[in-house]
Amino acid sequence: MKRNSIIRKGTALLLSLLICLGASGCQAKEEQAELDLSQTSFEDLVEQAKGSTVSFYGWGGDELINNWIDTVFAPQMKEKYDITIDRVPMDIDQILNKLSSEVQAGKRDGSIDMIWINGENFFSAKENNLLYGPFTQALPNFKNYVDETSSDTCYDFAYPIEGYEAPYGKAQLVLINDKEKTPETPSNAQELLEFVKKYPGQVTYPAPPDFTGSAFVRNIIYEFVDPEVFVDMEADKENVKAAIEPALAYLRELNPYLWKQGKSFPATVAQQETMYMDGELLLHMRYESYWIATAIEKGMCSQTSRSFLFDNGTIGNTNFVAIAQNASNKAGALVAINELLSPEIQASRYDQLKILPVLDNDKLSDEEKSLFDAVDPGPGTIPQEELLEKRLPEMPVKLVPIIEELWQEEVVGK
Amino acid sequence: MKSKLSLCCKGIVWLAMFGVLLPLIVLLIWCFTERWAWPELVPQVFSLRGLREVLGSQALMILHSSILLSATAALIAVVVGLMTARAIVFYQFPGQKLLLFASMLPLIVPTTVFGMGIHLLLIRVGLSDTVPGVILVHVICALPYTVSIMTDSTRAIGKKLEEQARVLGAGSLRAFWSVSMPALMPAIFSALAMAYITSFSQYFLTLLIGGGNVRTFTVIMVPYLQNGDRTLAAGYTTLFLLITVLVFLVFRKIVQRFYPCLEQNRE
Repeated sequence: MKRNSIIRKGTALLLSLLICLGASGCQAKEEQAELDLSQTSFEDLVEQAKGSTVSFYGWGGDELINNWIDTVFAPQMKEKYDITIDRVPMDIDQILNKLSSEVQAGKRDGSIDMIWINGENFFSAKENNLLYGPFTQALPNFKNYVDETSSDTCYDFAYPIEGYEAPYGKAQLVLINDKEKTPETPSNAQELLEFVKKYPGQVTYPAPPDFTGSAFVRNIIYEFVDPEVFVDMEADKENVKAAIEPALAYLRELNPYLWKQGKSFPATVAQQETMYMDGELLLHMRYESYWIATAIEKGMCSQTSRSFLFDNGTIGNTNFVAIAQNASNKAGALVAINELLSPEIQASRYDQLKILPVLDNDKLSDEEKSLFDAVDPGPGTIPQEELLEKRLPEMPVKLVPIIEELWQEEVVGK
Repeated sequence: MKSKLSLCCKGIVWLAMFGVLLPLIVLLIWCFTERWAWPELVPQVFSLRGLREVLGSQALMILHSSILLSATAALIAVVVGLMTARAIVFYQFPGQKLLLFASMLPLIVPTTVFGMGIHLLLIRVGLSDTVPGVILVHVICALPYTVSIMTDSTRAIGKKLEEQARVLGAGSLRAFWSVSMPALMPAIFSALAMAYITSFSQYFLTLLIGGGNVRTFTVIMVPYLQNGDRTLAAGYTTLFLLITVLVFLVFRKIVQRFYPCLEQNRE
């Protein structure tokens, strides 16, 4: 008897659960009117967005950036447009996972509005129709202050942007060391080899696919091969291998003098960073040009630390903000992104976070220019003119994973 | 001979204490340290940045809701675990072994796979991005632990005493509540603690299912740990440890309050 009743109860429970699932799955979702940007003026957007909340998803591992959004950007948006900015700290992989599940499940009023994104992630998001756009032409500040023809605004890792993301900040790879411990600043691959030989076991770089390590490897490739070569290169492994062979040979030549003889590498730039700060390594690198200034001010790095570049230049990229395809508050996101492109906000980011602005200097009024000129980039940094002068373009996004794979096969432990 | 043995035991105890305490001390020092480069014995640069950041952060504001969420999840997981355990131990029904195995599945299936699947389901049901959804997923993750702890203890205690109470005229609920429950209390406490810690430290699933709308302490903390800023990481970790210990103490207090006889029984 007992046995039967348990089975009966269980079956009933299971059935009711299934019915629940089915019923709510079939619920007709209210059709949301798509926002048509050609029919909507920016003033209308501001009006529509009033009193709403915009969720801003992005990497949350830097307390300065987090604080800046919470204490500068969010209050300003609230005061100016009555929009609440809800910052959500999440890694980009997880953001895209979440977004793609939502889109797959047909969720129209998505929880993600704005996304901090670039490069490979932008490529995969756009290819999979996860982004809303094109929208940049609807933003007054984009039209007024951004150089729409520059390659930094048109291409993200050589992948056409076509108005699906708006520039947010510029970054550039810099090398870092301490002049007390190492007076030299290697200015090309050959000098780096000598540097490594002079300080054996105390230099290394993060293993690709770490973002910074991967950029460093690409930068070494640029020391041997002209960046132009890669612009139209077919994403074919043999092809790429033949092109970058001199660079791979050079990296193998470095190996015996590296930390752990190049048999293993730090997995992340964070790991390399702690080793550099502990004095285990003598050379560090960051894909944030002015990170060193904040690190010295905090006391994490010694006062005598400084950043430097290769004479041929280092790779720079731009990071962007995009809007999710199923964002529930597109109007609010557009207003917020427009605000991010205002001279005051860009200058405030430059001042407090040391992030290079994305605005076109020629389009700024004298008054606006003075906002940027007043900023002192801080100790250990390279002047902005020099950075921009020695700025190399990123490689096409399709080549990046191939190079990372080749590095794994041809360099580690060889 | 005996003194040698006890000396040996003492040594092991001290070594274990040392192994636990030393990292904790280093962690505490790192809360206030910016730079501590080799070969210096003491940190070169101290700062209160970590403390300021942790105490002034979002994390502290959402602390109470985060604890409440995990405590709720833990409680549900223990109740479900206890009921499952009784079903498995005291009844015979087809699929019994399968049920036991299925309750262990969340441990076997990789979290990412499990997470993506359940996310799709929860979106359809309308539970994604909500607190109940997150609690549900936390419960599922904690179930393998609570079910196995409760199954073992239920089996050990058996049904005899409860049947005795029934013979003496107690109703089935009363018999369970006054006879089996007190005996199960130590196991319930361990299961509660285990479920709580599983829920409180859950990062990926909270993020995926909660979609950033449900923010727990761990969701705020982990990005800082990954970034490798040791001052902040140490600050957050210390707070995490303190909270967990505090919650365990509260659990204990509650358990003791309802079953004061428990402590005497154990002695």
